[in-house]
Amino acid sequence: MKKLYVLLASLVMLIALAVAGCGSTTDSKPVAGGTSTAPEIKTIQDRGVLKVGVKVDVPKFGFKDPKTGQIDGFEIDLTRALAKKILGDENKFEAQGVTAKTRGPLLDNGEVDLVIATFTITEERKQSYNFSDPYFTDGVALMVKKDSGITDLKGLADKTIGVAQSATSKKAIQEAADKQGIKVKFLEFGTYPEIKTALDSGRINCFSVDGAILYGYLDDTTVILNDRFTPQEYGVASKKANAGLAKVVNDTINDMKKSGELDKLMQKWGLK
Amino acid sequence: MPGPFAGYKWLALLNDWSVFAEGFIQTILLSALGLTLALGLGIFFGLLGTSHVRLFKLINRIYVEFIQNTPLVIQIFFLYHGLPHLGIMLPVFAVGVLGVGVYHGAYIAEVIRAGVESVPKGQLEAAYSQGFSYWGAMIHIVLPQAKRISYPPLTNQAVNLIKNTSVLAMVAGGELMYHADSWSSGNLYYGPSYVISGLLYLSLCFPLASYAKRMEHKLEVSS
Repeated sequence: MKKLYVLLASLVMLIALAVAGCGSTTDSKPVAGGTSTAPEIKTIQDRGVLKVGVKVDVPKFGFKDPKTGQIDGFEIDLTRALAKKILGDENKFEAQGVTAKTRGPLLDNGEVDLVIATFTITEERKQSYNFSDPYFTDGVALMVKKDSGITDLKGLADKTIGVAQSATSKKAIQEAADKQGIKVKFLEFGTYPEIKTALDSGRINCFSVDGAILYGYLDDTTVILNDRFTPQEYGVASKKANAGLAKVVNDTINDMKKSGELDKLMQKWGLK
Repeated sequence: MPGPFAGYKWLALLNDWSVFAEGFIQTILLSALGLTLALGLGIFFGLLGTSHVRLFKLINRIYVEFIQNTPLVIQIFFLYHGLPHLGIMLPVFAVGVLGVGVYHGAYIAEVIRAGVESVPKGQLEAAYSQGFSYWGAMIHIVLPQAKRISYPPLTNQAVNLIKNTSVLAMVAGGELMYHADSWSSGNLYYGPSYVISGLLYLSLCFPLASYAKRMEHKLEVSS
C-alpha cells in the first residue's frame, strides 16, 4: 500500500513540475524596443531559416502537390515575403504542415516561429497568441449533397452539420441559425477529409467551413450554397512572448497591403 | 504570461466543467455496456475455442485473429462510415459499444480459453468419472478454477477497454476525449483540457488496475 502512495505522490509532483516548467519558459521578458534586434528575430537570423506552419490540404492557400511534393499557395507566397524581410532571402524558410489542432501547440513549444494557415483571428485566441492584422477575409460556407435538395440554411433546420475542430465555423453558423430561428446540430471532426467522408456516408447533411477551404472538396455529387456567414479574418500567428517578431510581421503585411503586393498575390491565386 | 497552462485557462475549464462531466458520464456508460458485451462475446467464443469440435475451434480462430489483427480505429471507421453505405445507420453510441465490445471480446476470448486450458485435464476426467456431463463438469469443476486464473488479465482488459473508448473521439462519439478535443480546440486552451481528461481516465483505470494487482497477489499466496 505504501508503494502505492509513493507512486501517486510522484505522479502529482511530475504533473506539477510539467506545469511549472511550461510556465517558466513562457515567462521570458517582453522584447525591449521591439525592433528587428529582438532576441527571437536574432535566433531566426542565426539559424538562417524561418520555420513556418502552413496548411498542406487547402488548395490555393497551402497545398502540397502530390506529384511534385512541393507546397505552394497564397500563404506560401506570404511566407516568402516574410522570409525576405527577416532573412533577406525569400527561399530561406522551412514549411511544416499543420492542422487546425496542431498549430497552437507547435507555436507554444517553439517548433515553428509563425503559423500562416487559414488561422482565423478571435478575441479568445488573441489572449494566447499574437495575431497580425488580417491578410485575407473569407466567409463560412455550406456544402451539401446535390440530391438533398437543400438550397439555403433554412433547409438545414433540425439537420446535422459537420464542422472541423479548432474551426470557428460552428459559432458562425450557430449565430446565423439563431437569427433565422432554426435549430441545427453539430458534429466535430479532426480533419477535413473526415468531414467529407461523413457527408458521403450520410452521417451529416452539410459540411461547413471557410469557403476557400470548402472549394477543395467540391465534387460531382456536392454543391456549395451561395450563403456566406460571419466574415473570417485570417492572421499570421506567433508566440505571445515574441512581440518583436509579431511587430515585424505586422509591418510587413501592412506594407504589402499599401504597396498593392498583397492584392497582386490574391489575383495570382484567383482569390479575388 | 499566457503559456499553455496559464491560470485563466484553468478558470475557463472550471467554468465549463459540465462539458467534461457530460463526456465523463458518456465514457462510463460506453465502458460499462462495452464491457458487458465484451464479456458475453469473450466467454462464448472462448469456450468455443476450448471445444473439441473442429468447426467451433475454427469459428473461434476466425473471430479472434480477424479482430486482434486489425486496428480498432479501422473497425470503428467501418461501423461509422462504412455501414451507412450498406444502408445500416447505427447511432454513434451503438457504434461505440459494438466497436469496443467486439474488439475486447476477442481478447477476452483468449483470456478465457487460456484459463480453461490451464486447468489440468485430469480435473475434467475426474468429473466425468463421477458422472458429470460436459456442461456440468464445466460449470461446477473447470470454470470456477479457470475464473481464478483469468481474473487479473480480465481486469486489464477492462482497463484497456476504458482507454480505448477514446478512439470514439475520431467519429464525434461524444465521450470524454471528444469533449476535451472539442472544448480545447475552439479556444486553444489545450493544456488544462488534456491534463484534466487524463486525470479523469486515471481515476477510472487506476482503481481497476490496482484491484487486478491485489487479485494477483492473492492468487500467488493461495496457489
